[in-house]
Amino acid sequence: MAIDHDCSCNKNPLLPSLCRVIDVKQETPDVQTYTIQTLDGRKPFSPLPGQLAMVSLLGVGEAMFSITAQGEDYIQSSIKRTGLLTEAFHEMQPGQEIGVRGPYGNHFPIDDLKGKDILFIGGGIGIAPVRSMIRYAFEHRDEFGHLDILYGARSKSDICFKEDVLENWPKEKDTNVYVTTDVPSDDWDGHVGFVPSYIEEVGFKPEGKKVVLCGPPIMIKLSSESLLKMGFQKEDVVTTLELRMKCGIGKCGRCNIGSKFVCLDGPVFTLAELDELPDEK
Amino acid sequence: MAYTKEQIQEMIRQEAKKALATGEVSAVVGWTSTRFEDRTKPFFAETESECDLLVWNEYCINGTAKYALDDRYPEKKLAVIARGCDSRAINRLIQDKQVKRENLYIIGVACDGKDNPICKECQHKNPLTFDVLVGEEVEEQINADRFAEVLAFEKLTPDERYDYWAKQYDKCIHCYACRNACPACNCIECYADQYRTGWQGKAADREQNQVYGLTRVYHVGDRCIECGECERVCPMDLPIMRQTRKMLKDINDLFGDYECGLPDDRKPVLGEYKLEDPDEFM
Amino acid sequence: MILAKKDLDQALGILSQDAEVFVPIIELIEDKSGIKEPAFEKKFMPYFEGAAVGLDNFNTVKPPKDVLFPNVEKLYKYKTGENAYIQEILPEDKPKVLFGVRPCDMRSIDSMDKVFFTKEYVDSYYAKRRDLVTIVAIGCLDTQRTCFCDSMGIDPNDAPTADVMMNVTKTSRTKACPVTGCTIPEDDGSYILEARTEKGQALLEKIKALCTEDGSEEACKDTVCKLKIEKDPKLDEKLSTMFEHPIWDKITKGCIGCGTCTFVCPTCYCFDIDNENYGAEGCKYRCWDSCMFSDYTRMAGGANPRPTKKERLRNRYMHKLSYFNERYGETLCVGCGRCIENCPAHLDISEFIEKASKVDADAKEYSEADFAGKEAR
Repeated sequence: MAIDHDCSCNKNPLLPSLCRVIDVKQETPDVQTYTIQTLDGRKPFSPLPGQLAMVSLLGVGEAMFSITAQGEDYIQSSIKRTGLLTEAFHEMQPGQEIGVRGPYGNHFPIDDLKGKDILFIGGGIGIAPVRSMIRYAFEHRDEFGHLDILYGARSKSDICFKEDVLENWPKEKDTNVYVTTDVPSDDWDGHVGFVPSYIEEVGFKPEGKKVVLCGPPIMIKLSSESLLKMGFQKEDVVTTLELRMKCGIGKCGRCNIGSKFVCLDGPVFTLAELDELPDEK
Repeated sequence: MAYTKEQIQEMIRQEAKKALATGEVSAVVGWTSTRFEDRTKPFFAETESECDLLVWNEYCINGTAKYALDDRYPEKKLAVIARGCDSRAINRLIQDKQVKRENLYIIGVACDGKDNPICKECQHKNPLTFDVLVGEEVEEQINADRFAEVLAFEKLTPDERYDYWAKQYDKCIHCYACRNACPACNCIECYADQYRTGWQGKAADREQNQVYGLTRVYHVGDRCIECGECERVCPMDLPIMRQTRKMLKDINDLFGDYECGLPDDRKPVLGEYKLEDPDEFM
Repeated sequence: MILAKKDLDQALGILSQDAEVFVPIIELIEDKSGIKEPAFEKKFMPYFEGAAVGLDNFNTVKPPKDVLFPNVEKLYKYKTGENAYIQEILPEDKPKVLFGVRPCDMRSIDSMDKVFFTKEYVDSYYAKRRDLVTIVAIGCLDTQRTCFCDSMGIDPNDAPTADVMMNVTKTSRTKACPVTGCTIPEDDGSYILEARTEKGQALLEKIKALCTEDGSEEACKDTVCKLKIEKDPKLDEKLSTMFEHPIWDKITKGCIGCGTCTFVCPTCYCFDIDNENYGAEGCKYRCWDSCMFSDYTRMAGGANPRPTKKERLRNRYMHKLSYFNERYGETLCVGCGRCIENCPAHLDISEFIEKASKVDADAKEYSEADFAGKEAR
């Protein structure tokens, strides 16, 4: 007596559809952005900001990446070179066929964010998921209050999405962009210092403000401490988690934290929600 | 024997307490009872009262040495209760430069043979390396039949042998218990865990299981201390020692008398090259 | 319906005509060199004429889960480069019968159903296999020393969710198996079969001619487990507060980090996805994985949220006894005892359940000596 289910099973959640990389952009020495389309020139699917895609380099392997942007007929993912698989991704040329399945996971709490001022904080490649929400906010500009974007990278050359961060976003109305690098360099005349201390230095006010925070685990940890010290509430700070994922549909087991699965119940959690989970992040 | 099991058990407990009392030892690895009378389990005694839970009987089967790898850079020594096989396992780990002798405190105890088939073939009941010996040494038996099983098996035709192993590897579930129990399997990261490299497929099918089996036996063949843990722990009852013994027999035939885990510090024969090495196969 | 034990083979033969019938079969693995005694192996495998069917006696070492969730399962094939394609590989349409599933194992299938059928996604591969399977469960006439399903809320005599429930009849004479000592029915005994679902009715219809109807016959249903454990009924909630409890340091020390417990466990369903390439073509498959392995959670950069056996075994026990309850409303340990029987380091989940039930959830220290009265012999 198995559980009743829709037996047509016409959509196999583990089956990727064949897509094509139509553009490869070198963002930084170790980050590339891929623009992805179905073979007949359509958008593979329409993700909400913060959702994930399982991208498969056929014959090599697949891994979960956040979807950093989308347009009428494409989605974009940015991938940092960290291991054997991502190294193979970096060998890709435009025209390359890949498998894509998704979208997976929850998304940034758009309804909660609406009508509020938002502080976006990104560190390194962690700006990739944040960017999907930033772009959403710009596309629905009237639905959000004042926007602050604080971004930190190791050095100027490591700044992802340079046109957006350094040129496009600062021009948007009612938007302030703060950029910092960990180390100084001759071609960088902006702020130098780590993200958590820069947050305190700028002195954002918590009233009426929600925070979207993504980056490497240590940056999230220290930035959260800074934010809490400044009076932000845990309920008002959302962040994303990254664990090893395989299936993307909450079945294969490995991305659990307590009874939650990052691929299905996450990747977006508020700091308050994270407090409820076992300390295994 | 001069001492009864109960007496040896009591002496083990006392030595364990003494070791902990020095303050230089974090825990004593030995055996304790389980809910089944014919079964003990490995146990870390960390306090004086826990030392009284250590037991010594014919069911103290599990190897104790491999636990020394759990913390490769310990602040304190780990005390290990070592029978002959455990002391050879410790020598193995030391010779493979996986643990330092000074990080161990070895409580040796002569083995009376356990309720484990391989113990019948044991040639080293007495611990070969120890800091303190509990009880007294026993007489060793020289096991002339060490390779009897391999000799009998070699008489089969190649096809019969292949069929036999193919069937055995169909049963394998890829759990790696044989690897994890083996003191010679002491790599910090096993080739089989680096599966992104493509060396070892993860699927538990005949092909991948055989790849694993062959790789395992060549990795440990010249370093096997013949404790038989690999075969004992296999949930699917694969006769794993038969493979390793075949390697050891060939090594004995080619390189002369060869036993591993003895304190003589002889280098693993397949790991070194000598001009006078046999080369008939070339 | 009553099926005489002597007619069992015939019934399995009839069922095999239009389905693949998986039944516990005792296989002899002979060693032609004559060095070792032939080994017995009992596992679920397709019935064939002359098979030594072992319905009663001890349970199989490997659970029947691989009929629904194979150890290795192809997902799709693909080709790269020119004329690239991705092509789904679904399980074949052949109906299957799982015959002789114990109540603990039936409960484990219920748990797998929850995993693969609910929470937003239906797993197409599992779903297809599951829909094609008819399950005949058998009540245990005897239990092993590691059996504790009735302490986990399961009746060893009954599997409510099976398509057909089968028990030895009360009037059957029994004997002790000369090899294992288990109580088994005499050769002139019989089974009483009851259909619980439409699938089950359809199955019984096929073997009706072999069976008799005897309203006076009753099922033998007085088996109790040999292992009784004292479990806190709210252990799941208690454990959720014990993530940092010192008990984890202690009880995980003996673990050697192999995957035996997970692979013999009827409810462990975690899997890995990998590919196999032949030039430009290849296929994606999934295979069983174990949370006890170091690479299970290791990320591309090398970071690992569960770096040692303590974190891994804690996750396994918590998943079985707490996380699954929180997510799906039931415990994931069915008390089959396979992990206890097969653990190389003789770890015992039932012992953990008892100790965790008794300890103070807020304790800062934990000593095995506190349980010495019960343990030491």
